[in-house]
Amino acid sequence: MIELVMLVSLFSATMWNSAPLILASLGETVVERGGILNLGIEGAMLMGAFSGFMGAYLTGNLWIGLLTSMIAGVITVLIFGFFVIRMNLDQVVSGLAINLLATGLCLYFFRLSFSEGQLPYLASLITPYPIPGLSQIPVIGDVLFNQSIFVYIGFIATPLIFYLIFKTSFGLRLRSIGEDPAIASYLGINVSRTRVLSLIIEGIFVGMAGGLLTISMFNTFDTRIVAARGFIAVSIVILGRWNPVGAFGGSLLFGFTAALSLWLSAFISGPGAVSISQLLSILPYVVTLLALLIGGRKVRGPAALGGPFAKE
Amino acid sequence: MVLGLSKSTLRSIYKAIISIVLAFTVTSVLFLITGANPLIAYYYIFYGAFGDLNLTIETLVRTTPLILVSLGLAISFKCKVWNIGAEGQLYMGAMLGTITAVSLGNTPFTLAIAIIAAIIGGMAWAAVPALMKTKLGVNEVITTFLMNYVAINFVQWLLSFPFLSSDSLFPESASLPDAARLPMLLLPTRLHLGVIIALVVVFPIVYFLMTKTTFGYKLKAVGENPDAAKYGGINVNKTIFLALILSGALAGIAGFFEVSGIQYRMRASLSPGYGYTGIVIALLGANNPIGVALSSIFLAAIFNGSSTMSRALNQPQGVVDFIQGVLVIFVLGSEYIMRYLEKKGIVKL
Repeated sequence: MIELVMLVSLFSATMWNSAPLILASLGETVVERGGILNLGIEGAMLMGAFSGFMGAYLTGNLWIGLLTSMIAGVITVLIFGFFVIRMNLDQVVSGLAINLLATGLCLYFFRLSFSEGQLPYLASLITPYPIPGLSQIPVIGDVLFNQSIFVYIGFIATPLIFYLIFKTSFGLRLRSIGEDPAIASYLGINVSRTRVLSLIIEGIFVGMAGGLLTISMFNTFDTRIVAARGFIAVSIVILGRWNPVGAFGGSLLFGFTAALSLWLSAFISGPGAVSISQLLSILPYVVTLLALLIGGRKVRGPAALGGPFAKE
Repeated sequence: MVLGLSKSTLRSIYKAIISIVLAFTVTSVLFLITGANPLIAYYYIFYGAFGDLNLTIETLVRTTPLILVSLGLAISFKCKVWNIGAEGQLYMGAMLGTITAVSLGNTPFTLAIAIIAAIIGGMAWAAVPALMKTKLGVNEVITTFLMNYVAINFVQWLLSFPFLSSDSLFPESASLPDAARLPMLLLPTRLHLGVIIALVVVFPIVYFLMTKTTFGYKLKAVGENPDAAKYGGINVNKTIFLALILSGALAGIAGFFEVSGIQYRMRASLSPGYGYTGIVIALLGANNPIGVALSSIFLAAIFNGSSTMSRALNQPQGVVDFIQGVLVIFVLGSEYIMRYLEKKGIVKL
């Protein structure tokens, strides 16, 4: 018999595991609405995770780590932006290049900063902050209102990004660029500037999504820490049909999968328990692939997504 | 026309040279900051790669998985199918090859059958994203990448439980039977038959396939303009599917050669990211088989040379990853510089 407490811990872990996906997929939704497919998000998250870790480690202040992770995210995404906007290069290749750059830089500078065998870790993490009053509500309080600030930022950012995309003139410009940049440009919209702005917004979100991995989830850094979360976020954007609310919902689904595989491992006992729990680590990836198989078939995104655009 | 090379080939060569020079320049700055003399550092890198016969052969041994993976990726990139799942395909090929070899034991056909199994493993792993791409239109970049995580975690599990060797403390397979090991050709060096197969058999075949056959032409046509290719009667989906599974097959061979030529056991740490280095190589070599072959040797040299250099100059390991990351950025950036040079009339093609 599964007790309520166990379910609460499962759903609480779901929110917790969703946080990086929510932030990353919201950021990616914004840029994809403007017709840019940023696959460099994986690398931007890694740079965020590394910079967040180093910022927090060197200053001993986690909030400085949060700041450095966002700065690193913005810089990384802007390098990508230089390739695709200024140089009009293939977006897929540019994204892959950013990922390889990020892996190379983080691996090297991590090894440069710490000697072989040394396992640096942060003395503390950004821990859940129960919201006074709301967190006292039975069950729901623990699941929704006893979380780290990153979950709350996700709650608040989702409607804000929705508003930004669908209710502001910036969002209107962005969406028209995403449908046809040539016509948008003809109508007097500054395509490059709008896209750069959208990338800066993405950089902040994606950097934070990476940073939270090191300053709030794990207290150490490893170049494998992002573990395809960036690509899962890109999948979520597709499955969420380029809508922030869809991205939020999709992230919860994948957060649940990740939480479930950990949760199940904790409750399995007896012979073979270790074996099964190790096998469960592939669950989030398999579920993403299955979701793409079912929900990713020939969906129509922004018409100009991924395509080239060069202003004459 | 210079040396009988076409304009676009020459342009790719210029771009490759520009990117290598720039990557080395940035790396020199890094050496200066970390207190190493760049000239000495590059000397050690060169020495570590080609200093004597043994080191040179080691570089060729390192070239083998890289050239196999990157030739496969060049096939797929040529038709603009971005297979970034070579790492997973390599692992699945190596795993299936190992399982086959271990279960067959010593027979005259063990090696051949195990290589075929490795090809099937790599192909099958690439076939999943290939089917999702061609039947459902799902973006292959996402699926191939996610398949890497499935593969590596799955292999780790296989090696930890069902195929854990009884005589090992670590997650690794049983030792390969002698008949499944690639013969050593020049003891005491580690030159194995796989090196020769990759350089003397696979490379010419891929070169022929890409440059002299209608399939090669189709790859190019689909890559340049899929709509026009379709209009011209090319089966675009079939071409994409074949390109993807061929690159999976080559990655699978690369993985199994590492087991049967070097490690003799399948391990979860088999590849230090060859599948990703292959992407850098294919881009640097502009998906041209000869360019890819030269780039493979170049990256293999950096790989081996930089670890010698790190030991000699007390530099952190991972310089190769740094160079690789910076290099790929400059491969893209060199296009910008090339356009500038052409506009200013400094370079005329």
